[in-house]
Amino acid sequence: MDDYVIEMLGITKVFPGIVANDGIDLRLRRGEVHALLGENGAGKSTLMSVLFGLYQPEAGIIKKNGKVVQIKNPNDATALNIGMVHQHFKLVDVFTVLDNIILGVEPVRNGFLYKKEARRKVLELSEKYGLRVDPDAKIEDISVGMQQRVEILKMLYRENEILIFDEPTAVLTPQEIKELMATMRSFTAEGKSILFITHKLAEIMEVADRCTVLRKGKHVGTVNVKETTKEELSRMMVGREVSFTVEKGRFRPGGVELDVRHLTVPSKLHKNNAVKDVSFQVRAGEIVCIAGIDGNGQTELTHALTGLDSQSQGTITLGGVDISKARIRERSRLGMSHIPEDRHKHGLVLSFTLMENLVLQRYWEPQFQNNGFINKNAVRAYSDKLIRQYDIRSGQGSDTIARSMSGGNQQKAIVAREIDKNPRLLVAIQPTRGLDVGAIEYIHKQLVAQRDAGRAVLLVSFELDEVMSLADRILVMYNGEIVGEFDPRKVTVEELGLYMAGAKRMDIRNIGKENKA
Amino acid sequence: MKKSVLKSEGAISFMSSLISIFCGLLVGYILLWVFNPKYANYGLGCLVTAGFSSPAKLAKVLYQAAPLILTGLSVGFAFKTGLFNIGASGQYTVGAFCALICGIVFKLPWWVCLLAAMAGGAVWGFFPGFFKAMFNVNEVITSIMFNWIGMFAVNVVFANIPSALDNFYGASNADRTAGLDAANPGAIIPRAGLDRLFGSTYMNISIFLAAVIAVIIYIVIKKTVFGYELRACGSNRDASLYAGINAKRSIILSMAIAGALSGIGGAIYYLAGTGKYTLEKSLLAMGFNGIPVALLASSNPIGTIFSALFISYIQVGGDAMQPEFAVETIDIILAVIIYMSAFSLLMKSVVSKLIGGRFRRKTRGAVLDKEQEGEAQ
Amino acid sequence: MNIIADVLGSTIIFAVPLLLVALGGMFSERSGIVNIALEGIMIIGALVSCLFLKTANEAGRGASSPQLTVLLAILIAAASGMIFSLLLAFASIKLKADQTIGGTALNTLAPAFAIVLTWAVQGQGQTNIMLPTWVRISGISAESGFFARVFLKNSYLTTPVAALLLIVSIILLYKTRFGLRLRACGEHPHAADSVGVNVARMRYAGVMISGFLGGIGGLAFTLAAGSGFSSTVAGYGFLALAVMIFGNWKPLNILGASLFFALFKVVGNYASSLPFLPDFTGVKSSTYIYQMLPYIVTMIILIFTSKKSRAPKAEGIPYDKGQR
Repeated sequence: MDDYVIEMLGITKVFPGIVANDGIDLRLRRGEVHALLGENGAGKSTLMSVLFGLYQPEAGIIKKNGKVVQIKNPNDATALNIGMVHQHFKLVDVFTVLDNIILGVEPVRNGFLYKKEARRKVLELSEKYGLRVDPDAKIEDISVGMQQRVEILKMLYRENEILIFDEPTAVLTPQEIKELMATMRSFTAEGKSILFITHKLAEIMEVADRCTVLRKGKHVGTVNVKETTKEELSRMMVGREVSFTVEKGRFRPGGVELDVRHLTVPSKLHKNNAVKDVSFQVRAGEIVCIAGIDGNGQTELTHALTGLDSQSQGTITLGGVDISKARIRERSRLGMSHIPEDRHKHGLVLSFTLMENLVLQRYWEPQFQNNGFINKNAVRAYSDKLIRQYDIRSGQGSDTIARSMSGGNQQKAIVAREIDKNPRLLVAIQPTRGLDVGAIEYIHKQLVAQRDAGRAVLLVSFELDEVMSLADRILVMYNGEIVGEFDPRKVTVEELGLYMAGAKRMDIRNIGKENKA
Repeated sequence: MKKSVLKSEGAISFMSSLISIFCGLLVGYILLWVFNPKYANYGLGCLVTAGFSSPAKLAKVLYQAAPLILTGLSVGFAFKTGLFNIGASGQYTVGAFCALICGIVFKLPWWVCLLAAMAGGAVWGFFPGFFKAMFNVNEVITSIMFNWIGMFAVNVVFANIPSALDNFYGASNADRTAGLDAANPGAIIPRAGLDRLFGSTYMNISIFLAAVIAVIIYIVIKKTVFGYELRACGSNRDASLYAGINAKRSIILSMAIAGALSGIGGAIYYLAGTGKYTLEKSLLAMGFNGIPVALLASSNPIGTIFSALFISYIQVGGDAMQPEFAVETIDIILAVIIYMSAFSLLMKSVVSKLIGGRFRRKTRGAVLDKEQEGEAQ
Repeated sequence: MNIIADVLGSTIIFAVPLLLVALGGMFSERSGIVNIALEGIMIIGALVSCLFLKTANEAGRGASSPQLTVLLAILIAAASGMIFSLLLAFASIKLKADQTIGGTALNTLAPAFAIVLTWAVQGQGQTNIMLPTWVRISGISAESGFFARVFLKNSYLTTPVAALLLIVSIILLYKTRFGLRLRACGEHPHAADSVGVNVARMRYAGVMISGFLGGIGGLAFTLAAGSGFSSTVAGYGFLALAVMIFGNWKPLNILGASLFFALFKVVGNYASSLPFLPDFTGVKSSTYIYQMLPYIVTMIILIFTSKKSRAPKAEGIPYDKGQR
């Protein structure tokens, strides 16, 4: 007789145009860590949002301790002792840690907020589980790791017994991930039960007791982790064999295409510099990866390189031309292409048609206009060519509104647009974020093809797997500085993790030596 | 295939505009009934028939529609760049001022007056655009401030140019501008015989001027590189920046052009030679009425012509309801139309569901994207 | 000295509507709804309460206990503003409408409705509602001391009510569960939702408080203007928005900002009797220049404060559960 604390049976959740969950079953045993595995878009987060009361399912029931329960909103979930750490933290930036923890369950005396007792309880919990926080610090001033601890304390403060962690490791260093795993173990030892959403197989193997796999909104199966392998899990997740390696041609670096010297970029979030005196080079025919945890200055670095923001000091040279002060259009003309971090924010005008988006970087070129009028025929011909060549799928071809396309095809359109410019240098930031395995493979192939064709590629990625399989050279960025340079064949993920966490750093003079060797 | 999509989207916009209009008229009728039940049906009759009751009335409809087209274009053009030009009133006033000074004081011909009005309106639109682009000051508040500043500034300057005022030409009024018949008939917009045809001095070529300008604006937005940049900037400012488009320039230009359009609107209203500018203490409604005109037309320049004609038509109807009812009843109807337009995207998705749900996905997305207001064709 | 006292006294009277309405805007925006309809809300509040005062006067009831009647008028103004603001709340919260356009609709509706109603009530062409003289707090002789002259020479019940509401606002916003939740909804509604706060309900509350305060502000403006109600509040709703921005969405800063703006307004009114101001001799209708002043000052202030101002992060964006 199994002791199930939560049973979700036949859960179906439909969004306009997509069935996010299709009759999914999930059973959580008391005191276990139960992993929920699936690709982006497989329906993991939707399922957990249903359990947490954020969405109402079209069909299916939820049982707690064998009794059917209704979870209409997060209050119901809290009343059932269900808590959740969301992938994107649900914290109010301008509030203090304490205010964020008590929000929704505020202690009140005589009609006024009464925080004294709450502060004592938070400090106690923080002590007991080793979750260090400063209750009076504002969220905007504390590190991502501490923000996650605040989220965990929110659950503990509410005395939750069922803890949902939605992709909790994405923002953490390998060392921080280890700490988190230990914390999760200490929770289950007390009888709490954990649902752990992830798409990282190694973490499942390390911490989970059982694993439920979802694919395209459907329940594929539930397995005991001890009785399975990484390969089997990945086959269940993707539905076919996946090659984790990327075919690359021989490494034949050419001349220096991008030369960055002493680059310093001020931060928009705080008074310090986001990028501090960074120097590096990228050569033709090589992929240089900048590894690091999100928020260590990568965004600001790429914004300065591409011209979206300006640096306070330092020079940038592209193909021998100083572009430190050049405008975005000028950099583009000199051969810089840019696959931006956020395709909806920067990459596409969602209300434009696909063909209008495909000329977003080139509409001003003589071939696409007649005396100030858009040459629609030329634009259409060019767009049709790219659609064929790069296999961009959409409902109505060139006339499809970008918004109605799938994420993978939107990204393909951006990649096609940027690569077809024949750039000297391709700057790509998190180009595979949120895509399914097929699209990821496609993007990786395109990046490698660019490198093999003798172009310089600068790839910023938070995914160490991606970094290790694509890079010819790895630079680690921590706290706005480049703290190490590595050959991917000679370094381990653990070693990189120490640098990413700031625990180790190379002598600054040694950085760049690898390049000359 | 593409044609049919555009057609259907246009049809959806048109249907939701009709729903807005119907709701507006319904609320108007209810108000008439509440305030004066005996005359309610008579009032509604005036509202929907007065405009066609005589050639002279029709001339009035066309006369008022011309500036409305221009202020509607002004508001709609700014919408395309993601800006809300609530300052059309001030730009209209400044445009009227420039035209009248050129006409009355400097005795210039009508088309020079129009150009001057265009320049004046452009300057008044430039400032909110400039402040938005350079200091990120909300253009709505700036435009409102410039409405008041414009009105008071125009008043004080007029008051201090004796030769611009009516009493200079022998009338007793010192608080309104001189009649163009007396001051400079050459500044009156040509009537081209239309006045005799309609039997009304209100009738001149301005409605055709306005329609031509609407077509030009349509071409600029849809067909030119500049229009592409403006639309990109309006739909997604970050992406336009990424594409190397100078967003600040687009914002400033867009507001200046919007201002120029309103400015011409002010000029053609007062250069008809039938109305005199009175030193006002409250903002001119013609500018604000550009907002429902643009919203009813979903910011489509060609649609603006028709929505302006409609609004002008019910305004003439509103005049005919007096004295049984206040003419402001019309403003209530307009308010309802604006109110309905605020959730027009939602309404469009309802309409499209009724039609068959083919565009549901698209419109639903649009509801989520705040920057899309005024974007739907 | 007397002229200074008069200027300060008038400043307070004109600061009161700005303070009330800006506080209203603050509650709305702190909950996440941009309330550009404050102008219209003021007009409705003023309309209904002025009609009430006029009716009370004609029935011969007001003069016997004037301040009690004014207090009733204040409550009526608040209630009518609140009801009117529901139109904005419904459109922007329930229907997820564009908040700016929705607000513009209300701003178009209010003055038109006011004219139509006064026309219907008072007869054709009579669009101005005159106020009875007893609404003013009287009994202070001109020879009283400086402070009496500042605070009491020309004063209305709205002033102490505004002071009280300011204190209540501060406590409500910072010291209560309601305030914490309201602020969370304006900054990060998904966070609030995820801990069980009903975002829609908090936003309704925010908009309705702005209707409450805006309605009283409308009455306060009409009392300050002194010449009765004529279906307009002369852009004060928008000036109040500027005051709110200048005050950085914080109650005490808003108090300072409204006093500052009111001073400019009043200086214009007293221009001819203030010796240190240019009187523009030779310029006709120079009052227009002073009438322009508050709007120009607003512009300049906005330019200088825009870089530093920190609006609630989620304001203006309809809350959609699906978007994360």
